[in-house]
Amino acid sequence: MTAPVGTNVAAGRLRMAIPKGSLFADSVKLLGAAGADVRVLADPDRQLTVTTDDFEFIIARPTDIPVYVAHGVVDIAFAGKDVLLEADLDVVELLDLGFGACRFVVAEPQEAGRSIEEIYRHLGVIRVATKYPRIVERHFAQRGLQVEIIKLHGNIELAPLIGLADQIVDITATGRTLSENHLRVVDEVLSSTARLVANPASMRTQDARMTQWTDRIAAVLPVMFGEDGR
Amino acid sequence: MRPVTPRGFRDVLFAEAAEREAVTRAITRVFKSWGYGPVETPVVEEYATLEAAVSRSLETDAFRLFDMDGALLALRPEMTVPIARLTASRLGGEPGPHRFRYVASVFRENASLRGQARQFTQAGVELVGAPGPGADAEIVALLLDTLVAAGLREFTVSVGSVAFLRAVIASARMDESWDTSVLQAAHGRDFVAIEALSRQQGVSAAVGDALRALSRLRGGPEALVAAGQHARACGCEESLDELLGTYEVLDACGLTERITVDFSMMRSFDYYTGLVLEVFSPGLGVAIGGGGRYDRVLAEFDAAAPAAGFALGIERIMIALANQSATPSVPPLDAVVGGTRPAEVFAVAAQLRAAGWRAQVAHGCAGEALVTEAARTGALMAVEVDGPSAYALDRNGVRLGELPAPLEGFAAPLPDDERCWQ
Repeated sequence: MTAPVGTNVAAGRLRMAIPKGSLFADSVKLLGAAGADVRVLADPDRQLTVTTDDFEFIIARPTDIPVYVAHGVVDIAFAGKDVLLEADLDVVELLDLGFGACRFVVAEPQEAGRSIEEIYRHLGVIRVATKYPRIVERHFAQRGLQVEIIKLHGNIELAPLIGLADQIVDITATGRTLSENHLRVVDEVLSSTARLVANPASMRTQDARMTQWTDRIAAVLPVMFGEDGR
Repeated sequence: MRPVTPRGFRDVLFAEAAEREAVTRAITRVFKSWGYGPVETPVVEEYATLEAAVSRSLETDAFRLFDMDGALLALRPEMTVPIARLTASRLGGEPGPHRFRYVASVFRENASLRGQARQFTQAGVELVGAPGPGADAEIVALLLDTLVAAGLREFTVSVGSVAFLRAVIASARMDESWDTSVLQAAHGRDFVAIEALSRQQGVSAAVGDALRALSRLRGGPEALVAAGQHARACGCEESLDELLGTYEVLDACGLTERITVDFSMMRSFDYYTGLVLEVFSPGLGVAIGGGGRYDRVLAEFDAAAPAAGFALGIERIMIALANQSATPSVPPLDAVVGGTRPAEVFAVAAQLRAAGWRAQVAHGCAGEALVTEAARTGALMAVEVDGPSAYALDRNGVRLGELPAPLEGFAAPLPDDERCWQ
């Protein structure tokens, strides 16, 4: 375990982190439906924090959100399951929000010069490029395959094309980017959706407010994203 | 070279160390007053010893090392298991209960760049050989006493029991992998996974309801009532008996004001069997301490005995105190005693110390140099010794007046004392 140490805002309002990028719009929509005043989020401009009566919103990079929550500088947040798994920090997962669905897949060139099996047989190791080394490590360990993980920060599809890696593990929603780059999916690692997460200490020290907003969000989920919450 | 401390380790300098000492002393005083005796254990234990009691978190957390014989050792990640080991290996034949207290550094491995320390100081107690609500209530009451004595103005203690969740899981009569998954999800505070597991085929409605309610079973006595209803529906009502008994004792003592009943909490160490505790302070994102009942740990060491205890993280208490503007003020040095003849200086300083002063000697320092030294060390007074007489100096090193002789019963200065050099 060993949670890091940090201090959050004083009581009064909850500090909530909202991820920039693909989860932003649905997170705001959901919050609005749950009764929060989200007008300030419609056009946050370049501000990193905006405040309402109920919340101090932090607009953050998705991968930083688990760090904020685990350190307790944010009470409650929206975060993708993928990011949570990669961060592997002590946060409470309260709700599966259903939106932001994506799959982690293993992909390789459609016309590989040598098959992966052959590479593995002769070299005993596969090189895998990814943005998510921890998730990849866990996946291949479960499969009993030896891999060398190469961490990249973007354009993962490029790695096999230029010979940096034999396979890649990346997120895909539709699979289009992969096929456009002549890659095919060979294995599924996991599927991810957005989650409502909280700091474990905030759950105790701000119990009433945390429970109130969790309940409100849970109540509007089926309405917004279908009966099964998806 | 310019030396540095290894990542995750740090030095503690004067002001901080003095404040930590003040808090630790206040905590120790309470432990002592409850009849807990001090013990010390080695910093390292056999890895196998730790592994027998804490399996889950050890793999990633243990600070491991090999000695010259190739034995696998680990720096202690906490004190509960070393004290259980001590009880088994050294006190096996002695009738209990034993009451232990400690203030000790513990070590945990952490990946780099996460802003986490690898060495902490824990102050805690273990009550070995006493079962049931009486002993559990003693631990909780002692914890409350300790937190007040440490100077914390605001805190809440979450009190729960892992017996409830374990009983609900057992009553489901699912396969072992399901049981493990639920426990793992609870340890990982993953209520999304618990919800999914609660809806798995074969899980009865009562068990499913209980699992889904878990994250909400928090609050005052009403949370106990709610948990009781779920336990009854699952046919495992007796799993709450201990906690109910403990709460009853605490309630009768008027100690429930700062207690929150909380079934959504699972401690990160997996050895707890009943009572679990976590301490929170507003504004701090992590628990400042925790503990509980671990009745099976000593059985792992062939010395089965019920046991319970708690540990507080001194670093985290210091942060909570700072947040609450409640850091203890440590009184400064009373005087720096200087003069040209060391023997005279020592004699006056000794008399001042006998009168209750904190007096530091400054050899060969007199006049202005002595005042500079007093300023540097933060002393309230500069005392210059000259032959049989001693004088208080002002800021320019000029003698203000002679100190009485003998110095017996001469009170140490207060910060606004006119005898002070400032």
